[in-house]
Amino acid sequence: MRLSRRQLVAAVPAAALAGARPARAQDGRTVITYWYGAANAAGQAALQHDLVEAFNASQSQWRLVMEVKGGAINNLLRVALLAGNGPDIVQTNGPSYLTPIATAGQVLALDDLAQKYGWKDAFLPALLNTDVFGGKLYALPRDYESMHLFYNKAMFAENGWKLPTNRAEMEAVAEAALAKGIVPFGNGNADWKGVNEWLLTVFINNVAGPDTVRRALTGELPWTAAPFVEAIDLSKSWYQKGYFGKNYFSLAGEQAFMQAVNGKAAMVMSGSWAFGYIGAGMNKPDTVMDVVPVPTLGSAFTGGLYQLGCGATMSIARNSPNVEGVVAMFNFIQTEGFYQAMNRDWPGKWTIPVKNLSPAMLKGIGYPLFEKAIADMHDAFESGKYGFTTWTFWPGATETYLIDGIEQVWLNRATTADYLTKMNSMFQQEMKEGKVPPIPPRTA
Amino acid sequence: MWLLVLPALAINVAIILIPALLTFLAAFSAWDGIGTPSWAGLANFLALIDDPIFWSSLTNNLIWTAIFLTVPVLIALVMAALMLAFPAARTPLQVIYFMPRIFAAAITGRVFQGMIYSPATGILGWLNAHGFALADPLADPDRSLFAVAGVDIWHWWGFLAVVFLAAMRQVSVDQIEAARVDGAGFTALLRHVLLPGIRPTLTLMLILTVIWSFTVFDFIYIITRGGPAYGSEVLSTLAYRHAFFENDVGQAAAAAIVMSLFGLCATFAYLRIQSREEGA
Repeated sequence: MRLSRRQLVAAVPAAALAGARPARAQDGRTVITYWYGAANAAGQAALQHDLVEAFNASQSQWRLVMEVKGGAINNLLRVALLAGNGPDIVQTNGPSYLTPIATAGQVLALDDLAQKYGWKDAFLPALLNTDVFGGKLYALPRDYESMHLFYNKAMFAENGWKLPTNRAEMEAVAEAALAKGIVPFGNGNADWKGVNEWLLTVFINNVAGPDTVRRALTGELPWTAAPFVEAIDLSKSWYQKGYFGKNYFSLAGEQAFMQAVNGKAAMVMSGSWAFGYIGAGMNKPDTVMDVVPVPTLGSAFTGGLYQLGCGATMSIARNSPNVEGVVAMFNFIQTEGFYQAMNRDWPGKWTIPVKNLSPAMLKGIGYPLFEKAIADMHDAFESGKYGFTTWTFWPGATETYLIDGIEQVWLNRATTADYLTKMNSMFQQEMKEGKVPPIPPRTA
Repeated sequence: MWLLVLPALAINVAIILIPALLTFLAAFSAWDGIGTPSWAGLANFLALIDDPIFWSSLTNNLIWTAIFLTVPVLIALVMAALMLAFPAARTPLQVIYFMPRIFAAAITGRVFQGMIYSPATGILGWLNAHGFALADPLADPDRSLFAVAGVDIWHWWGFLAVVFLAAMRQVSVDQIEAARVDGAGFTALLRHVLLPGIRPTLTLMLILTVIWSFTVFDFIYIITRGGPAYGSEVLSTLAYRHAFFENDVGQAAAAAIVMSLFGLCATFAYLRIQSREEGA
């Protein structure tokens, strides 16, 4: 490969910093480094116990050293990789974050390793294929995710509300809740603006339908098409009717979720990570909460829909001198023991998309609500019946605008047409630049 | 002589001049922050001009500057003059006033967000529960900038007061006593004796305020992340969003250059005032 002058300038400090020499732990093992993003106290304890300590105890050659870097992990990672000084295991927040890193050649293609260790047969194709760029596999998916409709089943029973199966029924429950002074949906974005896109994932997919979304993601249809106008208008109408409560911008995600558990909200539209709100008591047998896929909000399909999402990808840094160690870790996270322990102690973040999800794997988690959701998602993602989460398939700049710009629509500072026109132009530009992750096929 | 200057010069070149030049170059390139940059000419600046969020961010920076040139400065001047007038209370008051300055911005921001403004866990929520219908200003795009400015003023004015007090203590006691003998009250003393007496310090702090106002980032990012609906977005949070969320380093660098231009103007103004005073 011939290096350009600019690449050469970037490579000099990178090479100086990298050294590409494996570090040794005091016990003589070779150290493999891993940076993790944001994790709460329970998550950090689970990572330390179920991943780091368990992996280090499972073999004698490698020592996994994990650093929790917090919410700015993507920024740190990009700078570190550019300087040739990143961790051995490169974890990103999903395929749309991996795309620029993989196309810049900062992580290794895993095809030979995947062949050698049978990863291509071990992972669900719908998830694994989101990490394929230019015909090469660059990462393993760490989890699968979707949006869900959590609801307070005790409140529903008490008020005689029927579980909604379409938009009209959903709005009927929301109006009934409002009339009783109950917040229809306990959502809040004070600590994480990304909540906006959780909701938009639902509106876009469940109003326009997943086939229409796929056509837009592959460039066949502009985002200004009528089904998307309807989706954004519906989100605006629900926000302005107060369906998300008057404190949407003031409450943190978990705070807002607890409104449903405490009988102040009827439902919550949240992602699989919400199963990790163990403080909400959803892992207890007598929980007041139940969960279903979010029902259709348009006429494109009937029933509920899971939206395919991947919350994190795991790759090997281009300069890593410890490829075999990372491979050992990648194989470890596919074991039944790890799957059960991690999903029991920190539910929702490590649903490794293994193809063969045996009932025994799920049973060991001991969290019936979560086990039911994992099994349902697995079936949907295996059979190709899914929509597309915005955080997995929308490229970086478009996704950022999707999140920030929608607040202007909800607060009457921009029209739906202006919003979708800008989103469409950003998406088309990023598509031209090859920044849209691979879009997996789906079955009707 | 040059050898004595060399270490400081080398450090400045390495950590200020070179990154500044690289940022300048980045503003004329298309770069996602990890691949290979390519020449983009003026495209990043033209895109900024076309972006209404850039203009609203710039306006927010100007509003922020106007707020910080007046509110904390006035509070600090009055409080410093009062401390000068009551020497017995001076030491404990200085400690109390200065204390917010030593708290990390992240802590102050979270305290105001969760314990004061929050309708669920804050004082505002308590007031709402007791019959006062007060909405969270952080949730309102028209008020969020002012709500964050309130937090930063709380954190900032005490520092200014301590600086102004130190300067006022350099004003001749004879001059102050003479003014009092002539019948000057508190306002007249402040206006005709103390303010002229601390003019160099006041000028420096005002110029620094302009520079800092165009680089303000921490409180806004921690408390509102520039929202809602870009209501509290300023140039630094805009640049951060371009660089680290949209992976558009070129646009981020262009926004950073605009930010720096205001700082440069303020610096030139200060140097000019300083040289005029030295010449006088």
